[in-house]
Amino acid sequence: MLNLKNLNIHRGSRIVFSGLNAEIKTSTLTLIKGKNGSGKSTLLRTIAGLTPIEGGEINQNGVNIFHAKEQWVRKLIFIDNKNGLSDELTVRENLLTWVKIKGWDTNKENLVLALESVGMQKYMNFYISQCSDGLKKRAALARLYFSFFNEVDFWLLDEPTNALDHSSYLLLQSLLSKFIKMKGSILIASHDKKSLIKDYDTLDIDKLRNVKTI
Amino acid sequence: MNYKELNWIYLFISHIKRDILINSRSLFDIVSIFGFMLLIIILFPMGIGPIQEKLDIVSNAVLWIGLIIAIIPSLEKMIQRDYTNGWLDQIATSPIPLEIVLLAKSISHWIIVIIPLIITSPIFAILLGLEFNQIPWLILSMSIGGLSICFIGIIGAALILGARRGNVLLPVIILPLIIPILIFGVGVNESIKIGLSPLPNLFLLIAFSLIYLVISPFISAILIRIAISR
Repeated sequence: MLNLKNLNIHRGSRIVFSGLNAEIKTSTLTLIKGKNGSGKSTLLRTIAGLTPIEGGEINQNGVNIFHAKEQWVRKLIFIDNKNGLSDELTVRENLLTWVKIKGWDTNKENLVLALESVGMQKYMNFYISQCSDGLKKRAALARLYFSFFNEVDFWLLDEPTNALDHSSYLLLQSLLSKFIKMKGSILIASHDKKSLIKDYDTLDIDKLRNVKTI
Repeated sequence: MNYKELNWIYLFISHIKRDILINSRSLFDIVSIFGFMLLIIILFPMGIGPIQEKLDIVSNAVLWIGLIIAIIPSLEKMIQRDYTNGWLDQIATSPIPLEIVLLAKSISHWIIVIIPLIITSPIFAILLGLEFNQIPWLILSMSIGGLSICFIGIIGAALILGARRGNVLLPVIILPLIIPILIFGVGVNESIKIGLSPLPNLFLLIAFSLIYLVISPFISAILIRIAISR
């Protein structure tokens, strides 16, 4: 259970949220809905600890997540539009360095399994600069598979279905439902009408917002 | 809950390896830095004219200024790429401290950019007519000075993240910090030329490098946290 209490979030001089209250349930998929520019990504970045909060707090089971930030970031995977892939490295090398900085075990089998889970085993040795947008997205989503060997509670995904074709959409769906079964929580910011899986919560930030975007 | 203890030294080394791998795949950048320095070194004697005495007065300074001017354009790339592709966001959402990554970045930049320049510096020294006994000191002082330029550079590069026309801003911001390095770096070789011990200048150079070593990861980490929060 993640409680957002009275959150104030600014981005530069712009007030994105003020007095935002919300609740995010465990082992569910929560879809953050909102118009373009309504602050979906900002909310995700705030929960990931990238954008600081000006006021209020975020509590997980009653504990403020930013008081033990290192423990918190260990338990989450954050993927946004930028993907975090280096053009000069191959798909496999990118995944490997990412697993290393997370402090997880980097054995070869897990790496191959992760790449297979998003159908990237064929493109393992492609440079990211040679990949299309869809392949890049899949290379980034391959990280999600590591939550099945490590302790991960949260997935924060910003528009994960962008540029994905139908077959990788299905692969992502199966990853999501597998993670939900493992009591994981997923937060997805999307303007997609239909959800990736059947049971989900919605967080409509246009309704929750108290202050209009300036 | 039982967390696997993170081995920072291991992470530090693996991040250095990653950065070297990335840079080694865009070798054109490194060759262009070398070419730029060579151009500066070749143009100077041509402007000064064929009198060896005149060249002797400025040769050490020319070498150092050549080094600094050749490196500066490359400093921006140290973190700009990782900022645009989102890698810094991934670092910030992982347990590895940003400071460790930034230290690794400046050291890998030193290894991949400055070391090749230093290895080829005897060629530059010969072009400027330096005495052979100066060359070992030149290499030593340039490696230490180059390392501190990388430490300063990463602060500047972090400061201009997300700014437009940052490449114009960067030299203006970091040049004042490089001046002590330039003075003592040139001082090492000048004192040999006039027959004094180079050690006082060398120690001061090392002292400045150590100061920058200590402050650079922390300052640049703060700046990067601001940049990614926007």
